[in-house]
Amino acid sequence: MTFLEQIKSDFNLYTAQASDDNFARLRKNAFAAYEQLGIPTTQLEEWKYSNLRSVQQGNFTTSCVSKLDANALIKAGILNKIVANKLVFVNGCLFPELSVWLETDERIKVCSLAQARKEHSAIFDAHFGKYIDFSKEGLLALNTALMSDGAFVFVPEGASLTHPLMITNITDANEHSVFQQPRNLIIIEKNASATIIENYMAVGSFASFTNVVNEIFVAENASLEHYKVQRAAGDTFHTNYTQLHQLANTNINQVTLTLDGQWVRNNLHFYMNGENCNSLLYGLYIPDGKQFVDNHSRVDHAMPHCFSDEKYKGILKDDAVAVFNGKIVVHEDAQKTNAYQRNQNILLSNTATINTKPQLEIFADDVKCTHGATIGQLDEEPMFYLRSRGISEQEARRLLLNAFADDIAEKIKIPELVAILESEIERKL
Amino acid sequence: MISIKNLQASIEGKAILNGINLDIKPGEVHAIMGPNGAGKSTLSSVLAGRADYEVTGGEVDFLGKDLLELSPEDRAREGLFLAFQYPVEIPGVSSTNFLKTAINEKRKYLGQEPMEATDFLKFMRSKMEEMEMDKSLTSRSLNEGFSGGEKKRNEVFQMAMLEPKFCIMDETDSGLDIDALRLVSAGVNKLRNSERSFLVITHYQRLLDYIVPDFVHVLYKGRIVKSGDASLAKELEVKGYDWIKQEVEAAV
Repeated sequence: MTFLEQIKSDFNLYTAQASDDNFARLRKNAFAAYEQLGIPTTQLEEWKYSNLRSVQQGNFTTSCVSKLDANALIKAGILNKIVANKLVFVNGCLFPELSVWLETDERIKVCSLAQARKEHSAIFDAHFGKYIDFSKEGLLALNTALMSDGAFVFVPEGASLTHPLMITNITDANEHSVFQQPRNLIIIEKNASATIIENYMAVGSFASFTNVVNEIFVAENASLEHYKVQRAAGDTFHTNYTQLHQLANTNINQVTLTLDGQWVRNNLHFYMNGENCNSLLYGLYIPDGKQFVDNHSRVDHAMPHCFSDEKYKGILKDDAVAVFNGKIVVHEDAQKTNAYQRNQNILLSNTATINTKPQLEIFADDVKCTHGATIGQLDEEPMFYLRSRGISEQEARRLLLNAFADDIAEKIKIPELVAILESEIERKL
Repeated sequence: MISIKNLQASIEGKAILNGINLDIKPGEVHAIMGPNGAGKSTLSSVLAGRADYEVTGGEVDFLGKDLLELSPEDRAREGLFLAFQYPVEIPGVSSTNFLKTAINEKRKYLGQEPMEATDFLKFMRSKMEEMEMDKSLTSRSLNEGFSGGEKKRNEVFQMAMLEPKFCIMDETDSGLDIDALRLVSAGVNKLRNSERSFLVITHYQRLLDYIVPDFVHVLYKGRIVKSGDASLAKELEVKGYDWIKQEVEAAV
């Protein structure tokens, strides 16, 4: 069976046993949309550089069978050093033995999405599928139609997670190729706050395709720290849609770190649907070898008096290819918007490639917006300065690249995560 | 200390140094003066090992080693120090981390054990006191947002930390007001001793009021055309460079 036939057959299997409720109807609609749209191709402007054709040649298993035990998973490095609440998914299914729960506030609900649909159906129905629009995105539609499990997070009004919540997804491609579609739903109610880490790992030498969708809703006066750590090494394809819908007076700090992964496409979309929002989007990608990393982002300033700051930085080695496409849309009503966007890249080889496209679309007339992109090599002047003090060329390069990454690292408020990032930079360079 | 023989260098095919001869003994302070474009900064760059310049002839012996064969970092480890005319701002690299790395790389080169963190901090504190450095300078990123004077003082502070044998000061006075000039010079004078040599490159005489040289050389068209003692600098202050240019042209 080809990949596309497999999808068709999986969906037929699902409809044969699904009951006729809202959820099933949504998934059927989504599948219809997927059949119309298909898997994105490079014919689409937004997918010009991101070719998913080779993944469709693969022969994937969608079941979450894995022979890994808890010890093997811990060995795989699921960020054990961070003291956090933990949910671990293997090939898309919850691995309950590794769950950690440190919170005492019983009003906070964190569980698998499948469980939430049964036990917290009112909250689930009120939010699920409400913030994304799958009618234009084949992969969003596909995830909605055929999702694996994922995390459900509900932080009610006035509550806070006292420790971060780490959602780890491990791809086990030891036995066969894996296709999984994690789906997370995160709801931060009024005056609530949370720190959430999405952590992606992979083991095994078979191929994998991971198509993630995150829906995140942040209500009035709430705040969210959201980190994405992509370390799924090997023959991995990873697409990630993260939709953040924020209401008035909310603060969101989002940091995406793309370290490993053969082929990564991130789609990050902020929709600021209230006044006085702060949205911070930061990213660092360090591809080497033949890695491909594409960061597409869109920030919708739909209401007045909001602030957004976006900075993505890349260090590219070898034959790596990266894409940055950032779009800020300031709607007609969004007066007094402040929006900033920068993309900065250092190319360490003659064969690395960066395609960058910072975009602004402004329909309001009283706004402050800047955007820009830079591409360069390590500057010779600082290199010479450091070497003239007795520092070797290699050490000087290390110092300068760490310094380049530093203003992204300083946006990370979890010291253990910063330490991991530093050691990853070390390893990569 | 250092012996420069018939040094010639060019940049992008254009000859800048046309045979420099200079001998500096331990403890001596030599000043190089000259009009703009004479090759003063080229000389300091070539000695420090900047890659933009091509050495086309001559030799430089530094403490028994062929200086021109050494990488910039090895020159520094052997005891050469260049105080930059325009010290580079390096955001994200803390001054402390930078100095610790530099000192330990030098120690490694010399076959010594790295300095322990606590010993290093103690050493740095004592040097800061000695050089009257503001504590905040070392907690900030290297030279980032420093004023012109702070940058030059930081160069001298680095000199104190790295304890070089031979220091080149490249137009250290440029962009400094008189107070900053005094502070920087006072720092340099503290570091003068019977072992350490200096090559002070400057366009103006005023720096040499504070750092009094043993010898003054005038560089013109890539050659040393006149040498004397500190009084030569005073003479240049009064008469400018034109009379030297005329002397040289007349001799041709």
